Amino acid sequence: MNYDLNQDQQILKDAAHNFLQKECPTTFVRQMLEDEKGYTPTLWKKMAELGWMGILFPEEHGGYGGSFMDMAVLLYETGYVCLPGPFFASVVMGGLTVLEGGNEKQKKDLLPGIAGGERIVTLAWTEESGSYSLDHISTGAELQGDSYILNGTKLFVPYAHIADTMICVARTAPASSKPGEGLSLFLVDGKSKGVSVQVLKTLAGDKQCGVILNQVRIPKENLLGNLNQGGIVLHKILLPAAVAKCAEMSGGGQRVLELTLDHAKQRVQFGKPIGAFQAIQHFCANILTYLDTSRFMTYQAAWKISEGRNYEKEAVMAKAWVSDSYRRLVALAHQVLGGMGFMEEHDLHLYFKQAKAAELAFGDADFHRELLAQQMGW
Amino acid sequence: MDFGFKKEEEDLVREVRAFIKKEATPEMLAETRQLGQIYGGPEGRKFIQKFAAKGWLTPNWPKEFGGMGASEMVTYIIRDEMAYARVPSVFVAAHMAGPTILRVGNEELKKEYLPRIARGEVEFALGYTEPQAGSDLVALKIRAEDKGDFFLINGQKTFNTHCHVADYHWLAARTDFEVPKHKGVSMIIVDLKSPGITIRPLITMAGWRTNEVYYDDVVVPKKSLVGEKNKGFYYLMAALDFERMVPPGLYWRLFDEIVQYAKETVVDGKRLSQKPLIRQKLSQMTVELEVTRLLYYQLAHMLDKGTIPNYQSSMEKMFATEVAQRVANTGMEVMGLCGQLKEGSRWAPLAGRVEHFYRWSVVETVYAGTSEIQRNIIALRGLGLPRE
Repeated sequence: MNYDLNQDQQILKDAAHNFLQKECPTTFVRQMLEDEKGYTPTLWKKMAELGWMGILFPEEHGGYGGSFMDMAVLLYETGYVCLPGPFFASVVMGGLTVLEGGNEKQKKDLLPGIAGGERIVTLAWTEESGSYSLDHISTGAELQGDSYILNGTKLFVPYAHIADTMICVARTAPASSKPGEGLSLFLVDGKSKGVSVQVLKTLAGDKQCGVILNQVRIPKENLLGNLNQGGIVLHKILLPAAVAKCAEMSGGGQRVLELTLDHAKQRVQFGKPIGAFQAIQHFCANILTYLDTSRFMTYQAAWKISEGRNYEKEAVMAKAWVSDSYRRLVALAHQVLGGMGFMEEHDLHLYFKQAKAAELAFGDADFHRELLAQQMGW
Repeated sequence: MDFGFKKEEEDLVREVRAFIKKEATPEMLAETRQLGQIYGGPEGRKFIQKFAAKGWLTPNWPKEFGGMGASEMVTYIIRDEMAYARVPSVFVAAHMAGPTILRVGNEELKKEYLPRIARGEVEFALGYTEPQAGSDLVALKIRAEDKGDFFLINGQKTFNTHCHVADYHWLAARTDFEVPKHKGVSMIIVDLKSPGITIRPLITMAGWRTNEVYYDDVVVPKKSLVGEKNKGFYYLMAALDFERMVPPGLYWRLFDEIVQYAKETVVDGKRLSQKPLIRQKLSQMTVELEVTRLLYYQLAHMLDKGTIPNYQSSMEKMFATEVAQRVANTGMEVMGLCGQLKEGSRWAPLAGRVEHFYRWSVVETVYAGTSEIQRNIIALRGLGLPRE
């Protein structure tokens, strides 16, 4: 076993870290929370030029042929700075879905655009039930001549309000006892007639959207991949996406640890830095434990995905562990930081909110523990 | 990164498993359980000497002293297999005293002890804790007076677990009372059959035995001094960085049995493993054991690349032992009323192993540095928080 990043990954990590320190201070994060779009084309373009958006795609599709582990390394750094914007939505959720589910023409049409940052893609999957179960999907698509007509409501679609393309999960055959059956994926132009998008007001202000599809007519060739095979594609991409989310969360946890230590070393009460009190020391030790173990669980799963091995158990274990750990880690940080950590002007609340949003994304710990039980055959 | 084992490591695991399956007798397993997994009982010695003949007791030692010259990773893998198989897995000579002799002992000492340790012929007992020196180990008082040709030792030790089955005491004794506490301790190897040593049993709530040890004018030859005089406390602390580790195997084995029980047991018309709450609990334990496994092998990885784990070994010990308690409690929760039945009851699930381990696991977060001491180490050494 080897727990170290290789040299290229270390270089990528350092470069990303330095770039984001400069380009994405928390003043910028706060600004983007207020901003209608939630990202700036300037920073977006710079990130595309660094090659980040094509890291997962093969070279023939305008990518860099990197590994999933490279992506995880990068997301650790975007999580560290709470990077706002559609990076995760477009590259991980959109990109992985096209890569896994699209036919050759669709990959050729879409991936270079995602890799170059010219096209922002998102995945419209969950609905009003707020459930991750694919059986709950009720948005329907009906074939009429050469077009599909989509009707339904999608919720929690990240950055749908600025996306060029939404990959919309819709029912094309009745649900059966097999989970995920009868679903198909459709490429929907964000500006199509009948699409209305509203940014949801959420805890983290992270531009998740509600999307109403009312008699949206899309050409037949916008079916991504094959009819009724959408569930299979989603099954292949949702766990890797959850692991990618864990990488972001681990990076966020790293920053929270630093914020906590800064405070514990500087803040003087009862005549000494509070970091000299064992109660505080033990909280900090627990934070480090949550962080180190989150990283290991995440990297193990990412490594398995990268290597093309069976990754399902490691992936669900990672999301179960990291979801709980990140929330608990932030809660400990709040205790150490006291009143200061409760103030808007301090950065901790950004991570507190990121932690909960990320915990909910792709299913929380309970959800993944149940998945693990199924995988274990219990 | 690489989270898999090498092929030769996987082959070795299979070989070790096959050997244990063939050689572990019911008598040896029963004795080991009764001793609380420590090495030194007669049945355990028979088994481990055969095991050690393969080089597996001290794989990471140099070949000239009876090791295989193997990696720490291999060593950690074997230890975890031993723990999972419930053969003796707590060794003082092979895991703690031996490595320190290897690092700081003179040639004579190495030749005298290391080959015998590697062959499993001798076992040591840790001689650290005293009534007034537990977490504050440096407060130890037992006195070893330098009498020119020999040390004359007087004082008391407590909770010295292997003493009733071991051959030698790995004794931390005060050799200088005039200097700051940590500068006046020496490590001395004492034959436990020496005149003047009295060993009194202390029975734990897990049923196994530990000991109080009294030294009354015990004469020990000077050649039994380990390394330099008055450097003992440094050796002892350094050894903890290298050797503090808890293989998850012992806990994982019990957990696997709990899962099996849940799959086979029908309550209220439903298998326990199909009840959502039980599934949640079992999954959580699976995750926590996996986390422990990654913390454990991280230590081997660090040692193999030449770095010394300091906070990492504390984190592993703390985490693994806290998981042990949660595994025991999960077992109790899964089994309901029957979980409290002791070995021997016809209704006791898993022959009372969960009831036993529930009592036993209490000490896991206490011995070898409590969880709180480990958190102190993580905070001070891992995070650089101030002492005052």
